[in-house]
Amino acid sequence: MEAATEVLPRVVHKHEDVLPKTEPETVKIPRPAPPDGVARKAVRGFGELMITAGLVILLFVVYEVYVTDLISAGKQDEATTALDDQWNESNTVAPVDPQRQVQYDLIEGKAFAKMYIPVFGPDYHFSIVEGTTDKHLEVGPGHYVGTALPGNPGNFAVAGHRVGKGAPFNDLDLLSSCDAIVVETQTTWVVYRMLPTSGEEAGWAEGKAKNPKCAKVAPLKDSSNPASGPYSKTVGQEIVTPQQGEVISPVPHFAGELPVAEQAALMTLTTCHPRFSDKQRLIVHAVLTMSYPKANGFVPPELKEQ
Amino acid sequence: MYGWIWRHLPGPTPVRVVEALVLALGIIALLMFVVFPWAEPLLPFNNVTTPS
Repeated sequence: MEAATEVLPRVVHKHEDVLPKTEPETVKIPRPAPPDGVARKAVRGFGELMITAGLVILLFVVYEVYVTDLISAGKQDEATTALDDQWNESNTVAPVDPQRQVQYDLIEGKAFAKMYIPVFGPDYHFSIVEGTTDKHLEVGPGHYVGTALPGNPGNFAVAGHRVGKGAPFNDLDLLSSCDAIVVETQTTWVVYRMLPTSGEEAGWAEGKAKNPKCAKVAPLKDSSNPASGPYSKTVGQEIVTPQQGEVISPVPHFAGELPVAEQAALMTLTTCHPRFSDKQRLIVHAVLTMSYPKANGFVPPELKEQ
Repeated sequence: MYGWIWRHLPGPTPVRVVEALVLALGIIALLMFVVFPWAEPLLPFNNVTTPS
């Protein structure tokens, strides 16, 4: 017992001795700074480069999605103002004869019509410019040079951005059959409605056709010749490869000739697909259902559809 | 890289902060107004047309 009690205080004493000694030692002695060797510098430099690259890419996304919108909004406003001025000017000069073929001043890069898609909201309106180069499409939706004009037989084809630059056709995939696309020209309101999609065509008469919006919309297919008629492949929405220019020909996908008098008056919208990619094109076809001469204060009822 | 730049900025710390900010803003402006508009057509977001 005595021997044990003699040992114990010693152990405690040892502990007390050791603790104060080791603690200050680890705190007081600073860690030696590692040498700034080549490898260390290289790793740090590489890391910083990667962070910088990430920041630049983030900044590019901001540019693409927001800054190009701002730039394009300015250009779109300018184009719209110029168009309004032109319309006001010529309306005061000569009364427009509704029987006469509408005269357009088609100058590439200049707006000549406005488009509205009421289901996209009352603030959805864009001035359509002539031409579809990158420069033209920065201003707004662009009319394919040489395709039909609003309201005329043939195919009024318009391209628009889906990402950035105002993204006029951002939600084009959300458009469903019978939705109105209203085009305003100097003299006329032209109302197009999206055609039935390929899935809807079969049960059209029993199904969606009963919707009042669809009163004048029906599959363009020739019912007696559904497989090979000129409009056998013209449906409301399709996704094609970028090379398929036939979607904007007067009769889409039709190789033969159809006299202008027999052509339907179509409108075709094209944009990229899927979003952020150019692998494919999203195409929407619409058919003329109505047109009104413009009059003071008159607004087509289709514009109020939701 | 960033450390090297910081060490080479002249003046006391507050001045250096201002200089660093100006430098960063300048680089952002260069990217936004020169580099990105140049690079954009090379990227695949903007092809929305089909051949007419």
